[in-house]
Amino acid sequence: MRGERLVKLGAIAGGAALVVVLGFTMTDYHQYQGGIVAYYLIAILGLNILTGYTGQISLGNGAFMAVGGYTTAILCGHHGWPELATIPVAAAVAGAAGFLFGIPALRLAGPYLALATFAIAVAVPSLAKRFDHFTGGSSGITLPIHTGHYLYWASWICAGIGYVVAWLVLRGRTGRAFRAVRDSEVAAVSSGVNLASYKTLAFGISAAYAGVAGALLAIGAAYTNPDTFPVTLSLYLLIGAVVGGLGSLWGVIFGALFIEYLPIYAQKTYFGFAFSKQAPSVVYGLVLILIMLVAPTGIVGLARRLRRSI
Amino acid sequence: MGKRIYALAAALGVALAVLVGVSAGAGGTPGVTSKLISIGGTFPLSGPASSYGTIPQAESAYFSYFNSLKQPGGKRGVYGRQIQFTYLDDGYNPAQTVQLTRQLVEQSKVFAIFNSLGTEPDEAIRAYLNQAKIPQALVATGASEWGTLAKKYPWTIGYQPTYVSEAYAYGQFIVKKVPQAKIGVLYQNDSYGKDYIAGLKKGLGSKQNQIVDMEGYEVTAADVGSQIAKLKASGANTLCIFATPKFSIQAFAIAAKLGWNPIVFNNSVSATPTLMTIATGASTPATTNGTITATYLKDPTDARWANDAGMKLYRKIMAAYYPKGNVNDQFNVYGMSAAWTMVKALEAAGPNPTRASLMAALRSMNYSDNPFLLPGIKVQTSASNPFPIQQQQLTRWTDGKFVNFGPLIKG
Repeated sequence: MRGERLVKLGAIAGGAALVVVLGFTMTDYHQYQGGIVAYYLIAILGLNILTGYTGQISLGNGAFMAVGGYTTAILCGHHGWPELATIPVAAAVAGAAGFLFGIPALRLAGPYLALATFAIAVAVPSLAKRFDHFTGGSSGITLPIHTGHYLYWASWICAGIGYVVAWLVLRGRTGRAFRAVRDSEVAAVSSGVNLASYKTLAFGISAAYAGVAGALLAIGAAYTNPDTFPVTLSLYLLIGAVVGGLGSLWGVIFGALFIEYLPIYAQKTYFGFAFSKQAPSVVYGLVLILIMLVAPTGIVGLARRLRRSI
Repeated sequence: MGKRIYALAAALGVALAVLVGVSAGAGGTPGVTSKLISIGGTFPLSGPASSYGTIPQAESAYFSYFNSLKQPGGKRGVYGRQIQFTYLDDGYNPAQTVQLTRQLVEQSKVFAIFNSLGTEPDEAIRAYLNQAKIPQALVATGASEWGTLAKKYPWTIGYQPTYVSEAYAYGQFIVKKVPQAKIGVLYQNDSYGKDYIAGLKKGLGSKQNQIVDMEGYEVTAADVGSQIAKLKASGANTLCIFATPKFSIQAFAIAAKLGWNPIVFNNSVSATPTLMTIATGASTPATTNGTITATYLKDPTDARWANDAGMKLYRKIMAAYYPKGNVNDQFNVYGMSAAWTMVKALEAAGPNPTRASLMAALRSMNYSDNPFLLPGIKVQTSASNPFPIQQQQLTRWTDGKFVNFGPLIKG
């Protein structure tokens, strides 16, 4: 047991060291991509807390990313705030939005919750276009441009903080309550877990993480408009969470790498053979189906099974 | 046992780090070698705007054709350099456009960005490219800001006639030929719709008061039924549709239902032959017959160009290099016209091109022989004129086909 803990600590230290080393050696463009991986990681962490640990499905975390992203864009672009200072505000605003959404969502479960969260994913870009006085409408808001290096460090530091917070939340009472809600609501209630509090809390936390990710997306792209947070973003986050492995913090990095690099590699030409440019969407779908059939617990689940069988 | 897997993972991680850490270094102008000029662009190849996805493929076909030609001096390409065109799918998501453009610039090290498509995607990368002094050449959008902001963003230049100049042509025509017009306007409530209104008012000049009603709608609206009803009730006998395809088709359908038969000006974005055919099906032939729009490209379905040298070249290139493409799709003609212009600019940038010399070439164009544009239409820029194409010809939807008429109008 102790040995395993040491190995886990070693892996975490190794991972952190790798992130630091890459932050000084990679090209600026690769650091830009690395920053994107980091903020996808933050969003998937939040989604994992909600879906993997609390059992509440969400097809709408992209909408909470939009809330965070627009908060940052409006504060920076319209009011001249320094970018990094807006990140906690984005987290708070998105978290509040998530918490408020969680209240009516208490009545919903399974496919109905999925539909409701999907609805907000669809509605948010339209709302952003509607309230164009506030959000700049289709023309969007521009922010100051930064290097890939800047995005990399901002995102990975936030990701590190996010990981620590998630670990602390999940290992304590709150985490146990979340798991109880996921495993059996009836048993949870009879153990004295307040379903309403913990479900809305899970939504709030998940949305806060998404808000940070959205803020970093806005900073990285130096531009926000309704099309930067499309419906597909919410779906890709869920796919990333599933691929990585729901209910495990280890798999989140794989999910983030997957959703960042798949569209890029699916568009390339290999030995003269080029996938269709439509390939990424098809491949996402195929991968999701494959994972559900072969490894429903994601990459992490697969790794666990391999370890046991070796 | 578990330790081995972690050790393996660590080793893989380090190997990966080493691989990605290696960066390519090269002196000289990025994207230019003795054998190649590398250009790149982002386009919506997937997603709701993917019908534009045929454009970069047509452009790629043109570049392949050009690369195969023997130039005077015996070499192929631009001063012996083959044009390498990389196009990537941004799905019309500006955040993706930013990422992919950075990839093209920093990883693929392209010489210039060519014909990136979409007003917002291009807005998203404009500051970055101008800061890095990289040409954002011949952007594929009709917004007027690409010209009006030329001083602020000198590395960015548009290509096609702006929405403003298109509506200006409509206004001028109304003043001359429909003097008793009472004009109703349906417009999308964003910069695209407002650009059109600005052009219309400019074209009408002192007759602006002939606009009796303007009804706007949000992109998120379900339909434009109430707007069309209000426009009919205002007594307008002329309707200007400054709406994207879905709403434009709805406008025709609802006008037919209300028994309203105004003279219609439909914006070019929504008035391709394909879209007009759909609109006719959704309403009635009587409603769409006589609709006027503006055009600057040769129509591949127009029998007039059956023996035209330019269109013969177009069909030859499509057959040889893009056989999967739809020869009748005017977007392909658009693509080739832009590619033709880019080749000319690259040639004019000189035998030792730099990004600055390419930009200078783009700002001093004077081509009247683009084989894919209507005869007489020039591609012309200068220090005081940042709009490459300003002329259009009006064309009328007559019995299921477009028939051009009248002179070229300069917006």
